[in-house]
Amino acid sequence: MRFQNRFLFFALAVALLALPLGVKSDVVLTILVFSWLQGMLAVSFNLIFGFTGQLTMFHAAAFGIAGYATHLSMQHLGVGYWTGTVLAALFVSVLSIIVGTICFRFRLKEFYFAIVTLAFSEMARLTVLNWNSVTNGTLGINLQEKPWLFGFKVNDTVSWYYLSLVALAVTLLVCSRLVHSWMGRCFSAIRLNDELGDTLGINVFRYKLAAFVAGNFIAAVTGSLYAYYLGSLEPGFLSIDQSLGIVAMVLLGGRSSVFAPVVGAVLLTALPHLIHFSAEVRSIVYGSILILTILVMPQGIYGSIAALLRKRHAS
Amino acid sequence: MLLEVRKLTKRFGGLTAVADVSFGISKGEIVGIFGPNGSGKTTLLNLVAGLMPPTEGGVLWKSVPIQGLPAHEVAASGLVKTFQNPQLFAELTVLEHLHIAAHLELKRRLGWRRLATLVRPDLAQAGHERAAQIVRICRLEASRDRLAAEISYGEEKMLGVAMALMCEPELLLLDEPASGLGAGEIENLEAVLRDLKAQGTTLCIIDHKVGFLGRLADRAIGLHHGAKIAEGAPDEVLRNPDVVMAYLGHSRDRI
Amino acid sequence: MGQLIFGQLLNGAIIGTLYGIIALGVTLTFGITGIVNFALGVFMMLGAYAAWYFTDTAGLPYPIAVLCAVGVTALAGLVADQALFRFTRNNLVNGLLVSIGMIAVLEATALLIFTATPKELHRVMPGVIQFMGFVLPKMKLTVFLVLLAVIFGTYAALTRTWIGRAAYAYAQNPEAAELMGVRTARLQTGVVVYSTALAGLGGALYASLYSLEPTLGSLFVLKAVEAAILAGIGSVIGSLFGGVILGVTEGVGSIYLPLAFRDVYGLVFLVAILLFMPAGLFAGRK
Repeated sequence: MRFQNRFLFFALAVALLALPLGVKSDVVLTILVFSWLQGMLAVSFNLIFGFTGQLTMFHAAAFGIAGYATHLSMQHLGVGYWTGTVLAALFVSVLSIIVGTICFRFRLKEFYFAIVTLAFSEMARLTVLNWNSVTNGTLGINLQEKPWLFGFKVNDTVSWYYLSLVALAVTLLVCSRLVHSWMGRCFSAIRLNDELGDTLGINVFRYKLAAFVAGNFIAAVTGSLYAYYLGSLEPGFLSIDQSLGIVAMVLLGGRSSVFAPVVGAVLLTALPHLIHFSAEVRSIVYGSILILTILVMPQGIYGSIAALLRKRHAS
Repeated sequence: MLLEVRKLTKRFGGLTAVADVSFGISKGEIVGIFGPNGSGKTTLLNLVAGLMPPTEGGVLWKSVPIQGLPAHEVAASGLVKTFQNPQLFAELTVLEHLHIAAHLELKRRLGWRRLATLVRPDLAQAGHERAAQIVRICRLEASRDRLAAEISYGEEKMLGVAMALMCEPELLLLDEPASGLGAGEIENLEAVLRDLKAQGTTLCIIDHKVGFLGRLADRAIGLHHGAKIAEGAPDEVLRNPDVVMAYLGHSRDRI
Repeated sequence: MGQLIFGQLLNGAIIGTLYGIIALGVTLTFGITGIVNFALGVFMMLGAYAAWYFTDTAGLPYPIAVLCAVGVTALAGLVADQALFRFTRNNLVNGLLVSIGMIAVLEATALLIFTATPKELHRVMPGVIQFMGFVLPKMKLTVFLVLLAVIFGTYAALTRTWIGRAAYAYAQNPEAAELMGVRTARLQTGVVVYSTALAGLGGALYASLYSLEPTLGSLFVLKAVEAAILAGIGSVIGSLFGGVILGVTEGVGSIYLPLAFRDVYGLVFLVAILLFMPAGLFAGRK
């Protein structure tokens, strides 16, 4: 079983790495780049939502702010793309510590946590929208620069494919290590019964904050990559719809495993491209998927398949 | 003196739940606190565990006041409490409960170096060995890999004790560990608690089951209407006329 | 300046009662089913478009059209409850996500049917009342009074009738209420449908004052949830005051503070309330 898993994993990695050799279609590769980046976003959200049990609505803000912060630090501090990304991720981490401290010190839970993080996210969006001199308001910003890596300019779709794939792999590795460590066990304790965790000596506040900051940090890195791949930035990055899209990806994929949200991200990113939908029909499809997933398979695709396999294994 | 309770009083509005109670617990002993239902036992235990502030008086844990500390800090200082109604993580197995409860052990052993286990998971191994050991001590081997939602009530209560033990307590406060258990399960519990005493763990047990406490405790404290009415060797306390009155008087009222 | 402030106060109060009527639905639904129904916004939108359809296309007199719109919304609420909400009782996260999914589906459907072009109702009740030198449009005053009457009527029904007491009993202690003969499933469906009908009424009255767009409900429901939390969830009259406070703050605030941030004021206020008065402004009052 163990060996089989490892073999499957290895085969998948080789297939994904070799994919651009066989697939020359720019459209397919572009869809995959977006899928990997959305996957990172979904996996990092799930660290806070699926593993620690906190329904954060701040994720779109972390994602969007990082794009702007990278651009601004490159423009005003004269740093390169990667330094800019690190600075942006640190800035977002500081914001997350502030927001998280406010929410968790006051013990906001469930719906109240969602509402207050949503409020902070909206404040961030309206600031970006209205601070014209810095963010160029509704019009957004065109990003001409592309990142350099080991002497190569990450410019064409194939190099972006590899960059995003590696970024996703690192995210999965980091999250998986975190979740399966003692810290991940603290996250589970908080999600399942925080009062009991408290009496067992777990500092609930500290580990809620740790999950929140770690998730937002990864979201920030994703936001910076996403903006520079897309080549533009606009306040819509921070919108409620963006947060809800992330929730939909995680629910569809499944929230019980580190990898599962990627499945949801790939499906929901690829779907609108495979069939040509108008914006309205896409919204209808998204909404229906959200409703059906919750009512029909609340564990998501991954969870449902895993449960099926377990049942077959047992019988 | 490990724990010192000084003139502890707790009032809820007009109701005095605990009235001017003082006692001490020394290292290595088993202290039983008993009294009829509604005599303020659970309130006293919550006060002692620092979970609620007293109206008057105080509790010194290793000569330091613990009132107002968050629960996780109290646990970290070596004073651990179990719940009367077992509190569990429904989705996890028995062994996974113990791995979560290994948190304090890891924190004490590695301090901030425990972040290194994120890169080298083998450093956390000691906690897993301890978990396996405590599964044995608590006679939970048979249900080690079963989900908390599937085990019996007796096993749930025992799992509560097992998690508390994982925290390496210097003083373990047990809130009615025998309530709701069958005769066989009580025997099992007694054996486990005797093992713990043999290993030098200090215990403070609260129960209204007089027989169970009488067999186990080194010293007994009788509680009635929130006040201490007797203290001493268990069989002496059980013969104390005030204690007899408290129990019999109560049962006569009920009829 | 006096007229400006008075006008903003009045507008704030009217918008506030509209927030209040949706907030009442939010509060009732939360109290009885344990979920926050963000989809009440699309029921409001539905009510608004139904009122527009019944007056403009079907040619009914406006008051009849409003009643028909409320009926249509309540029916839609019943269908939604039986098909969807029934399965999310007391599961806050699932309820939240299902209602968000409904918003996405129904708003997009409305966009397809009615397009994004704003719809205007023919002026229902033109004319103004002069009062101490101030000008009051008759229709605004009517809407204000109707909404007040419905909110206070609901309050009276909840405190004076058997159904209301059953609902209160259930909100306080579901198990005890069930043992005492409250038919839980019916009560929950009833409250969900009543809340959607309130939202439909809000929408139908809104249609007489402002132009209609398919997204009108989303902003409103967010404000309504803010109002309900401001008041302290569970408080019936509180949801009216929460709505009015929010509406007036926004109206008067936008005279003195930058308009672009109008939607933030309520949020800042809300965060402050949640942090420092978690039970809401009207805690303890029912």
